[in-house]
Amino acid sequence: MKQFAALTRSELTVFVRDRATFLVTFLFPLVFILIFGFIMGGEDVERVAVGIHIAEGADGEVLREVLSQRTGLEHQTFAAYHDLEKALQDREVDLGIGWDGDELSFLFDPAMVQRQGALSQLAAGVASDVNLRRQGLEEVLVAEREHVGRAAAANWFNMTVPAIIAFSILSAGVFAVSGHIAAMKERKILDRLIVTPMRPLLFLLAVMTVRLIVVYISTLITLFTAMGVFNVTFEVDWFRYTLLVAASTVGMMGFGALITLVVRRPSSAGNVANVLVIVMMFLSGIFFPVEIMPPFLQALSRVLPLTYMAAGLRHATGVIDMTGLRFFAITAALAALALVLIPALARYVVRPERR
Amino acid sequence: MTAVLRLSYLSLRTWLRERITLFWSLFFPVFVLVLLSAIFGGADEERYMRFHIGLVNLDREAEHADFSNMVEQAFAHLAEPKAEGREQLFVLNTPGEEEDPEAFLDRTREALRQGHLAAVVVIPAGFSETVGAALHGTAAFLQAEVKLLYNHGDSGSELAASIVEQVLADLNRQVLVQANLYERDQEVPASSSWVGTADGAVRYVDFLLPGVVLMAFLTNGLFGVPGSILYARDERILRRYWVTPFTVRKYLVAYSMATLAMCALQLALLWALGSGAFGARVPLAAPLPGLYLLLSAVTFLALGFIIASLSKTANAGMSIANILNMPMLFLSGIFFPVTGLPVALQVIVYANPVTYLVDGLRVSLDVGAGKLPPWSTVVVPLLWIAVAVAVAARKLQWDVDQ
Amino acid sequence: MSKPREVLLRVTDLKKAYGHVQAVGGISFQAHRGSVFTILGPNGAGKTTTLEILEGIRVADSGEIELFGETARRVTEQMKQRMGVLLQEGSFEPYLRVHEVLKLFSSFFDHAVPVDEVLERVALKDKAGALVRTLSGGQKQRLAVGVALVNDPELVFLDEPTTGLDPQARRNLWSIFQELQEADKTLILTTHYMEEAEELSNHVCIMDHGTIIAEGSAEEMARGLGQDSIIEFEVPELDSSAASALSAAGLALEHDDGTAVLHAPELTKAMAGLLSWAEKHDVPLTNLSVRQPNLEDVFLSLTGRRLRE
Repeated sequence: MKQFAALTRSELTVFVRDRATFLVTFLFPLVFILIFGFIMGGEDVERVAVGIHIAEGADGEVLREVLSQRTGLEHQTFAAYHDLEKALQDREVDLGIGWDGDELSFLFDPAMVQRQGALSQLAAGVASDVNLRRQGLEEVLVAEREHVGRAAAANWFNMTVPAIIAFSILSAGVFAVSGHIAAMKERKILDRLIVTPMRPLLFLLAVMTVRLIVVYISTLITLFTAMGVFNVTFEVDWFRYTLLVAASTVGMMGFGALITLVVRRPSSAGNVANVLVIVMMFLSGIFFPVEIMPPFLQALSRVLPLTYMAAGLRHATGVIDMTGLRFFAITAALAALALVLIPALARYVVRPERR
Repeated sequence: MTAVLRLSYLSLRTWLRERITLFWSLFFPVFVLVLLSAIFGGADEERYMRFHIGLVNLDREAEHADFSNMVEQAFAHLAEPKAEGREQLFVLNTPGEEEDPEAFLDRTREALRQGHLAAVVVIPAGFSETVGAALHGTAAFLQAEVKLLYNHGDSGSELAASIVEQVLADLNRQVLVQANLYERDQEVPASSSWVGTADGAVRYVDFLLPGVVLMAFLTNGLFGVPGSILYARDERILRRYWVTPFTVRKYLVAYSMATLAMCALQLALLWALGSGAFGARVPLAAPLPGLYLLLSAVTFLALGFIIASLSKTANAGMSIANILNMPMLFLSGIFFPVTGLPVALQVIVYANPVTYLVDGLRVSLDVGAGKLPPWSTVVVPLLWIAVAVAVAARKLQWDVDQ
Repeated sequence: MSKPREVLLRVTDLKKAYGHVQAVGGISFQAHRGSVFTILGPNGAGKTTTLEILEGIRVADSGEIELFGETARRVTEQMKQRMGVLLQEGSFEPYLRVHEVLKLFSSFFDHAVPVDEVLERVALKDKAGALVRTLSGGQKQRLAVGVALVNDPELVFLDEPTTGLDPQARRNLWSIFQELQEADKTLILTTHYMEEAEELSNHVCIMDHGTIIAEGSAEEMARGLGQDSIIEFEVPELDSSAASALSAAGLALEHDDGTAVLHAPELTKAMAGLLSWAEKHDVPLTNLSVRQPNLEDVFLSLTGRRLRE
């Protein structure tokens, strides 16, 4: 249909020519990936560097033994306590342990606010181990970890990349409507279109089509960047991946439509969208586990679409397992969001029904 | 001078009338403060943590199942609601009355794989026997193993696993004490201390609040200048001023004053909320912190001018601000420490004035051991201000082309 | 005088209210093919509301619309195919080029004219490749007119087409409209500029507060005020003795806002009387002018207010 082709071409042209929007759309997830890749990649939760200082005349053998037996822990000895303090401040070590023969003292860096909990736990564990050894005892019961997921989920970053991609889809989808279309309405560009025989639904389909193309390409760029720069591997099921990206994009456009329908003023729609997107980013368990949040936030996390989009993408990129039923249910739900809300958008926003 | 004051006052008033400004400058920092405190504040004190785990005792049918029962009891106890003032830590999935434990194990293993459970604890058959043997020292290095199934790479699962390990370590001690092998009074005392001047772990909200304040100031500077000034220039609003005796210099003074007033407003709001609702105790009003806050506000304003000088239109300026915003925030140590970065990113961290300001501010508030030499926390931002003045003086267009 | 041609647009008793305000209070008019029909009125008269109803973007409370012989309460898709619309307010995507905008809008219609022809018509041929954001105000408006013409419509609605434009741009648009009329198009125009109505239109209706208060050709309405000439001159103040002397001479004078206005049924006599009076009372006849009544005078006489506030 020539209207549709013309509208699609027009939307694509506008997108490409507006350098600013173009760059931001593609750069946005990349910046996230790069930042988190480097920052969090450096902070491998598993490895802890411990510095120890044994006072003159004290026997540090037990302590060293205990530390050597722990996996994921490296330790080094410092001749002077002052050097240990400095090393801690310079982040060369995460935790300091001093032993003077009678007392164990644990040294922390107060600035390590987020790791404080884990490090305190570690300190308690070391203290208890030392006590056991000193009494000539061994543990009688231990935990043996067994990883149960897919082999590809080698590290935290594997889990994070698909989640970041999911977030970028959310962002692009929502702002296509509550940003782009709302702005067109505000600047009365939409008005000029509306007085012609142009079909509102075709216009929306054109916007959707362009977004789908752009978003898909953007996710691929992000994915390959992560793979290239950070050496993560994915086993992508391309059929499921494409299906989910498509469903998510239009689903999130549907969500944007909901915002625009509820928030009357176009400029406010953009702001509301921003808040919701950021809330979702924090609460969907992408960057930190949901379990540390208060129960009401945990419950909220379970109704956020981003939570499911991230899970679905993790599955489609081979990081976690998911039943086919669940995957297609998620995909269908996202598509349904679009099917229901976008026609409503056609009726109430793109129609010239002034009062 | 009255013209300057008047414009300054009016600028502030119009900003406060614009919804967009209210949103990004006031609402958003407040929102971040509230959200992050809600999420992480609890983790500090371990108030909110609740994991869904599976537990199966394959040793139940054994003759002397006391140890395996003990383990089971320990977890059951932690799964009791509101036990001893702390929230329920675990939600346990255990086999039903008639259910075959092995079948249950398969089922929960699958559930774990699918992400419905955080971990699965499996007490193997013969556990109690092994523990008993270990206690009697019949064989060296005999240890009874409890299998802990989890998902590597899933931060929730990792966290659950380490907590389970902690529970088991405590149990271990309990068992040894009960067997009269372990003497509690022979325990070595352990103390904790912190480097720097702090006398305890820093509370999350005290760590967060200065960071959020700086984030708010940064938003003002980065987005405010290109947004307001370039917009006013492009819409030919500024031109109306230039045809009067009102000079560019006066305009700059007025604008800067208004921005600083806005920063003060943000500071007051965040501080009131932070200390009132979240119990933050950082002394933001003391002289040294105050100096850093002022320096920060001015530095970010200066950065905004650099962006404005190098952008042709308001739109372009805002896009640049958008792209710079994230790296400047994250590669500065405001939210989490930045270590172990490749050289390219380290350069950014050290070039980023925010890094220095955050460091200086946190040290002055006693909520962080400074990593940078104190003089640099003042000199580097000043250098940036100087650069901004130089760039803006040459390149900032005050009127749009005919 | 040729037979009046078919009626392309007929409006009967159209009403639209917003709350307590009756924006359009029962207006009726018709436009014949090939005519330029102007609705003249001050801001807030209801002109744009009327047009928006006819363009299909607003719904009337009551009344009938007959377009191209078809009667309806609301404008249909088929009707939209045959008309062109220039909105009072609106913009185009800043990052599209002129010819791209025209191509886009062409695709909305079943029948469209080649873009080059449209560009020719609105004198934007040399700007075909320019981005919208680089256009001046006048050029943007010409583009908007072009967009209204892509489907070679029989009927074109032009809502305040020259408001806010400089005189040159205004004249450019006027010549375009004249060419359109010569090409046998029917134009429905709204404006608050009297000169525009007089210059372009052969049929004018004056609208105020939602109703039509006068209708006819510009000359007819002006003639309706009588054969009086109107003499105007500027004088800051007129003392009462001078003023009464003038009325004693049979010349009715209105003094308003530094301008004195005289209606003179017999021009020569009035001029003679005025000149001798002025000499006698030492009144400098600054900026003296003599003219025929125009639409502003018509409006003033009908409502007591000026057309342009």
